[in-house]
Amino acid sequence: METNGHWEPPYIQPHRFGAINKFGKRSVKDNVVTEVFGVSINDLVAQYGSPLFVLGEESLRANVRKIKSCFEQRYNLCAHGWSYKTNYISAVCRIMDQEGSLAEVVSNFEYEKARALGVPGARIIFNGPNKSQAILERAIAEGAFIQADHMEELRKIEAIAGKLAKKVKIGIRLNFDTGFTEPWSRFGFNLESGQAHEAVKYISRSQNIILAGLHSHIGTFVLEPRAYAQQVRIMCELMKELEGMENIEIQNLDIGGGFPSKNALQSIYLPPEQAVPKISEYADAICESLLEGCKYRKEMGKDLPRLIYESGRAMIDESEVLISSVVGTKRLPDGRRAAILDAGTNLMFTAFWYNHPVKLTREYFGIEEETVLYGPLCMNIDVVRNSIQLPALNAGDKLLIANVGAYNNTQWLQFIEYRPNVVLISESGESHVIRWAEDLSVMMAQDNVPPHLEAKGKQRKFGNSSLTVLRPAASL
Amino acid sequence: MQKQLAELMTTLNKNQRLSKLAISEKGFLFDPETGQSFTLNYSGMQTLNHLKRGESLEDTAKHLADEFKIPHDTALNSIEAFLIQLGRYI
Amino acid sequence: MSKNGKAWRNWNVAVTGMNASPESPGPGYAVARCLREDPEFNGRIIGIGYDVLDAGLYARNICDGGYLIPYPSAGKDALFERLKELHEAEDINVIIPCLDAEIQNFIALKDELEKLGIKMLIPSKEQFTMRAKDQLSKFCESVGVLAPESKTITNPSFFDDCESQGFEYPLMVKGIFYDAVLARNAFEAKAIMAKLVNSWGYPVLVQKLLCGDEFDLSAIGDGRRGMLGPVMMRKRALTEKGKAWAGVTVEEPGIAEVARKLIHGLSWSGPFEVEVMRTHDEKIYLIEINPRFPAWIYLSHAVNRNLPILLLKVLAGDEELDLAPAKTGTFFIRHAQELIVDLPAFESMLIDGGIASDVIGKHRTVSAV
Ligand SMILES: Cc1ncc(COP(=O)(O)O)c(C=O)c1O
Repeated sequence: METNGHWEPPYIQPHRFGAINKFGKRSVKDNVVTEVFGVSINDLVAQYGSPLFVLGEESLRANVRKIKSCFEQRYNLCAHGWSYKTNYISAVCRIMDQEGSLAEVVSNFEYEKARALGVPGARIIFNGPNKSQAILERAIAEGAFIQADHMEELRKIEAIAGKLAKKVKIGIRLNFDTGFTEPWSRFGFNLESGQAHEAVKYISRSQNIILAGLHSHIGTFVLEPRAYAQQVRIMCELMKELEGMENIEIQNLDIGGGFPSKNALQSIYLPPEQAVPKISEYADAICESLLEGCKYRKEMGKDLPRLIYESGRAMIDESEVLISSVVGTKRLPDGRRAAILDAGTNLMFTAFWYNHPVKLTREYFGIEEETVLYGPLCMNIDVVRNSIQLPALNAGDKLLIANVGAYNNTQWLQFIEYRPNVVLISESGESHVIRWAEDLSVMMAQDNVPPHLEAKGKQRKFGNSSLTVLRPAASL
Repeated sequence: MQKQLAELMTTLNKNQRLSKLAISEKGFLFDPETGQSFTLNYSGMQTLNHLKRGESLEDTAKHLADEFKIPHDTALNSIEAFLIQLGRYI
Repeated sequence: MSKNGKAWRNWNVAVTGMNASPESPGPGYAVARCLREDPEFNGRIIGIGYDVLDAGLYARNICDGGYLIPYPSAGKDALFERLKELHEAEDINVIIPCLDAEIQNFIALKDELEKLGIKMLIPSKEQFTMRAKDQLSKFCESVGVLAPESKTITNPSFFDDCESQGFEYPLMVKGIFYDAVLARNAFEAKAIMAKLVNSWGYPVLVQKLLCGDEFDLSAIGDGRRGMLGPVMMRKRALTEKGKAWAGVTVEEPGIAEVARKLIHGLSWSGPFEVEVMRTHDEKIYLIEINPRFPAWIYLSHAVNRNLPILLLKVLAGDEELDLAPAKTGTFFIRHAQELIVDLPAFESMLIDGGIASDVIGKHRTVSAV
């Protein structure tokens, strides 16, 4: 029996039949990494602390280019809209801008952020169900392409356009049943019930707005390329119908996002390498369906519409990792091992539905056992992995949690912990902080204590970090 | 606490309960009285083997402390905790 | 491979699916029995399972060794590492995967295993996908085979108004890999869906119910559009869970024709089972194509069309297939039996995750059967 002299307190585990298989959840032996994106993990943690998000610029750019070329090879006129909500850290948005992506934004804040990052209005696609009067005025003045979600919004846009005496081209968001995914029927105008046609009528009666785009987004982590073929087919049919009826020419056909990344959804039995189709399979399904659906245009000697896709998670998920450290270990009453990490669902919202891959950062001896990985929150649901085969971890050990690029740096929780540094490894291998760790001053900056609640003789003292790299005081 | 442990030892030793347990060198434990089987980790296996031979908790702790080069207290504490776990199962 | 390669007689064959619970036996145990009882086969048989209670792993008259491997959800790389360990210990020539959920991993490893000298007769990824439950009706249409109307769903609210879409109760609700359960109303259907999703993930399938008799056909696709050695069986009694309890060999040309069309259309390579429903107006509807041998495959040995042996012959290029003419009227009745397992064998499976064949060999009873 293996011990290697490592002390572990004695324990006894009763066998409960039903699912006993020593190798059942075996992870790949070669599961140890010491570098990430070419940089030593230990060095990164020494410099920037733990937990730590690390984004690989080269990996991200390569992936974006790969996906784009998949579409461009199959269809001449494509544009990618970077879905800001997937990851709107400024440096990420700058990279996507440099890669030629439009900015796809869905709120006042995202619109303002895109503009602040130097994206011109004409390169912004403005989606989402909640666009304020003020931001609509700005977006229309700046030439953003707005895709309307509901009637009230259409009326607002029409009024603003009237006031500016502008003819404004807009798109409408549609929803319909493809038969493959649960329809996201709360967004946009429903096709089956006639709402979409009602919206089109409204627009065509207006002197100020012109229908130039159809938009829909059929879901996220859609594992079925055929769902997109069906989506495009339905959109093309509508386009053809509208162009026959009214004086309309659709210039943008926006299919939204939803391509999966190589993450393992907890509800899917097969591993992602089998469950997740290749991007080229999506591009095939979409572009074939599109070329077929646009045949009528060719026959009429008209140009084809521009295909816009708003892929988020497939672009970035695999290019970012989270380094986390073990702070304590336990043996649970049912005999399973458990480890508590300094990062949990506060930083990895996606751990609620993914089994993120977890890699070790040093060699271990001894047997692997079923282990639960907990986060640092005082909530029972803060679980990073429910069941994973791991060797006995020790406090201080670092783990690398992969595929965290999508939706974590935007959906992370501000709950009892400071959010950590996010570091970019540039193509030349240098590390740059792209989002500073929070500290007390950040956490309290928006608080206001009315005079009658002021503590007596209080001292304002901020700053808590023992890290060697700190946010420069000047930018505070 | 000490009283509880002493009672536990007495119960476990009654009718040679402990010495009847079959423990393989791989840490597989079979209780012939209940038909229940268990897995022990290495230190658990060592501990149980010492106890089966009738050694005291103190002596068992000494063996473990020597073998793993850990403080005697650490060994004793975890053996006591182990004994309580054992009492629940056996 | 020589023209009439007899190499297969001495091959070591690993067979998965050694679970043999009375309610729902995996096919592996029956496949191994077919191999063991062929008088010309002299190789070792290595049972592969996913749980220490997979009985076939301990069946000393059938399997020379038994091993546990990672669950399919652990992925192909973990599986490959484990298979390499098994190969080192047992020098495996052929693997016969027998469970639907694992086949994709094996397909993904085909080339890598081939490099180690391990052969498999399995479909390609494309063939496998074309017959997946959620693609089947489209494929059937393309080859002119009838299939009950079905629909993939992800949203349980479908069951509230499925009647308006032509899906009337009772209907079948099916997991994407396994299990088909009859639902009599929306309430039942939702509960069944939740359970299926929990085991097998999204989506689930709903299928209109057909009335008629169930027939199964098993054979081997040669990968060149041909079908070898079909054995046909009519289920005569079902267990409470709807599994075959008793069945009898039959010869129904219409069913053979349906299977031939399917295998031709898929260019199927490897063993398969076609499940059909023959309605009272003598129409034949395809229910499912399973990408492996069925649990009742021992019946093929009983009618002298030992399909697992045939599979080895195909892999070896042996042209003497020795298939008896189809024989009807041979019954099987499935029964449960206690397998005796001694403590060391059980300990070995539990602690080491396997029993090497030389250890088992010492215990092996001389009289096979
Ligand atoms: C309108 C729209 N576009 C694009 C996306 C990005 O989706 P994904 O990250 O799944 O590609 C979303 C996500 O919800 C969305 O709502």
